[in-house]
Amino acid sequence: MSKILIIIPCYNEKESILKVIDSIKKLTISVDYIVINDCSTDNTLDILKKSNVNYLDLPVNLGIGGAVQSGYKYAKENDYDIAIQIDGDGQHDPQYITDLINPILSNEADVCIGSRFIKKEGFQSSALRRLGINILSTCISVFYKEKVYDVTSGYRAVNKNLIDIYANDYAQDYPEPEALATAILFHQRIKEVPVIMNERIGGQSSIHSFKSIYYMLKVSLAIIFKRFSHRKEK
Amino acid sequence: MNRLLQVSMILAIIFYFICLFSLLRKNKVTLKYILLWLFTGLVMFLIAVFPAILEVPLHLLGIVEFTNGVFALILFFLILIIMFLTIVVSDLGEKQRILVQKMAIYEKRIRELEEREKIS
Repeated sequence: MSKILIIIPCYNEKESILKVIDSIKKLTISVDYIVINDCSTDNTLDILKKSNVNYLDLPVNLGIGGAVQSGYKYAKENDYDIAIQIDGDGQHDPQYITDLINPILSNEADVCIGSRFIKKEGFQSSALRRLGINILSTCISVFYKEKVYDVTSGYRAVNKNLIDIYANDYAQDYPEPEALATAILFHQRIKEVPVIMNERIGGQSSIHSFKSIYYMLKVSLAIIFKRFSHRKEK
Repeated sequence: MNRLLQVSMILAIIFYFICLFSLLRKNKVTLKYILLWLFTGLVMFLIAVFPAILEVPLHLLGIVEFTNGVFALILFFLILIIMFLTIVVSDLGEKQRILVQKMAIYEKRIRELEEREKIS
């Protein structure tokens, strides 16, 4: 029986976090979960305490990358076989978790990404963001020879080997595309499965207006530099 | 080089060294991070006392005015020091992140142990 952990990074998600946890508890498969409270400034921490939620509380805000990585470290320390990242804002419906872990259980893939763009159903994000995602996806396919469509999806499952890798080396700031690049550099097999994403229930996206230009520049440069600074591991 | 400029330069560098040494004496700074500052001061001091050192390299580079050469050199050292600081800051950020993550994992364990104690 594989030990499965769901990692839920959470920053100021008081409206949505309990709903996400409830729907995880309703799942038919047996999974553990851990919420990572990234030093929320609202009363998210109180809610977590009162509701007897399993959580890590970061004493300093590390951003999404550092928060998710804490989850991977926790998974490594507690010897989990599969880790699944899912956002705390309600965008990701936990009902797809089985779809995400099946390719890993059957050893078809090492990373499985929940992708919005396979069936093109549900919340597709704005046209501008889709353009950005396309650019990053092209960037990865040019420099890493691997086509992934939804490179920014934070809904993904990884196997034990990648839990180890990510516990030591996980991108910071805007980590999703870069973490994917790390996986490719370590010769991991990537698979995308279709999921339907919702619009966020509450809270704020970490990427908006002026930040989006910075985001695109930072992430594409990071992807390119990563390609040339790491040799592909054997 | 103009005498007045030379004297001011030497005085400024002496003041600079006094500042550095007093910071070091009070343990306000780590010597490791001050070495580059000390080296910069030393080079500038040598140039102020023996301006002739710069003559050949300045001529080769086509820099006519001595003061321009000094400016360029100072700029070079400043960039070097700032780059060094960026490295140090990045390294600190990385270490801090690792500590924070470890701390959060331990905090959870303490919480669980305390709870178990309460029950038993």
